[in-house]
Amino acid sequence: MTHPIDIMVIAPCANGRVHPETDELVAFGRRLQALRAGAIGVCIVGGDVNVAAREIAQRHSVPVTAIQAAGFSHYLSEPYVAVLTEEIEAVKPAFVCAPHTSQGWEWAPAVAARIGAGCICGVDGITEYQGRLSFQKELFGGKVKGLFSVSTTTTVISVMPGIFTIKPAPPPCPPGPVTYKEAAWRPAQTRYVGTRQAGVDASDITAAPIIVAVGNGIGSPENIALANRLARRLPKAAVAGTRVVCDRGWLGYDRQVGISGASVAPALYIACGISGASQHVMGMRGARFVIAINTDPRAPIFNEADICIVEDIIRFIPLIEEACSRLVEGTKEATDVR
Amino acid sequence: MTLLAGLMKMLTMPKDGIMKILVCVKQVPDVERIVVRDAADGMAALDISNEFRMNRFDEFAVEEAVRIKESMAGASIHVITVGPGRAADVLKRPLGMGADQGIHLKTPTDADPGPAAVAAFIAGYARSRGYRLILCGSMSEDGLNGQVGPMAAAYLNLPYATQVIAIQPAPDPSELSIEREIEGGVREMLAIRLPALLTLQPGINRPRYPSLSRLLRAHRQGVETIPTETLRPAEAWVKRLGLMAPPRMRASQVLTGSAREKADRLAAILKEKAFI
Repeated sequence: MTHPIDIMVIAPCANGRVHPETDELVAFGRRLQALRAGAIGVCIVGGDVNVAAREIAQRHSVPVTAIQAAGFSHYLSEPYVAVLTEEIEAVKPAFVCAPHTSQGWEWAPAVAARIGAGCICGVDGITEYQGRLSFQKELFGGKVKGLFSVSTTTTVISVMPGIFTIKPAPPPCPPGPVTYKEAAWRPAQTRYVGTRQAGVDASDITAAPIIVAVGNGIGSPENIALANRLARRLPKAAVAGTRVVCDRGWLGYDRQVGISGASVAPALYIACGISGASQHVMGMRGARFVIAINTDPRAPIFNEADICIVEDIIRFIPLIEEACSRLVEGTKEATDVR
Repeated sequence: MTLLAGLMKMLTMPKDGIMKILVCVKQVPDVERIVVRDAADGMAALDISNEFRMNRFDEFAVEEAVRIKESMAGASIHVITVGPGRAADVLKRPLGMGADQGIHLKTPTDADPGPAAVAAFIAGYARSRGYRLILCGSMSEDGLNGQVGPMAAAYLNLPYATQVIAIQPAPDPSELSIEREIEGGVREMLAIRLPALLTLQPGINRPRYPSLSRLLRAHRQGVETIPTETLRPAEAWVKRLGLMAPPRMRASQVLTGSAREKADRLAAILKEKAFI
């Protein structure tokens, strides 16, 4: 490698295959490069990573370091943090880019703590602010975005999925060089036992053309009936909810929309008393038309809505039903007369 | 880990199986009451009310600790927070839920020292106090960082796991069987050796309400207060430069008029779009 690596992208390890998040992380790295010149390099750690490393080098025309670690059949925080810490200390990059996922969000802060780096989790933007490179992330349940700068030599960032996109390098680009390394498997205090499906069938909401979704603003489990009634008023509509509502047991987990629930893309999404934290919004961005009802005029859900209504859903849902009845009956009468 | 460190760990491991648990909680402003204002240069400002409460994500950590205590004779729970004078109040609820002792690492100013410093303070306190299990919420409602847990584990050199959605005793009493919630509705099953640190997903349990008698006792008992100046000094590596209102992703057309007028307008839109 001719240039020292300044922007180090850590590609997620997934059974020897290139994870699609790698593309987004490279896109983030490129964006960072546009603001602060520096070479990008990708590092991938796992039990069987050499083929994936060559594929990344080819696809993005970047240098790749493959750290093959016998026994790393599955991601585990402890050995992953140990191996990455060693590699980052050797490379001394200015930026380490991790995916903001169940893996990256777990190891990034620990690696930062080990190497004395500043760490920002859930970054969804980079910008120049007051002459300083600053990273943007959500704060206060998504009500505002904060701009942060970091003063350490190395900064560890976990990058929000689904934000940065990239076109892979066109075919004439030469593949980047691949460096192969081996890491020793450290006796771990944590043991991987297996994985299992949580056994949730969300097909009722993923198939529905209309979704009436409820959030914290519904207030009590009895008020779910309001959402059910509104859903019955609309053709083939299903009731869904945010994580908070499902965690409280007011709706089953098969009704949960969001990162940890189902991703839905209905023709109509009515968000009732939902504040609009990104955890939820990521699961409903595919909706074609969005109506949001919330008492807080600055609720972030309104940024994701076509139609915004500042009202209390408890009082407003019955009014929608009445208005729909008036309208439909009015039309019916008009047709009957003809 | 060196052989010596391993031996030290064995020696500090209590033989009678007493489980000493430390739960980390944070006092946060009531997020629903925060008002976002437009400020100069297209930036935003926040009006934070003086109403603070326990971070909702931490309630699950307190509840889980209480459940473990109830299932294990002799287990005890310490609950710790880092913050200014007012933050001591946040310890009342966990004590009311069943924690035994509150510890307030008191910061000299109102400013949030940030996750790295908070983790360093907690690690500074917990080191050498023999906790078998440290529990945190998955993140705080204000900072949305989820960094304190993994960072404290790194400082304490403890095995750790985040996004934990189930905890069970393991056949080997020096381990716990846990499940992590990962993407796509999948759960990762792990065995983790104690002492360990876990950050818990909301939904792992249903947090109970504090009991009045416990609350009264907690009030009399008071909390242990330690100024953070006596712990490892904190460095502000990450600085917040400013705030911005989130960008609009869609039309965001606001309906106006009385509630009934809005409902009529909405019905007309639904009709126009052939939804009714």
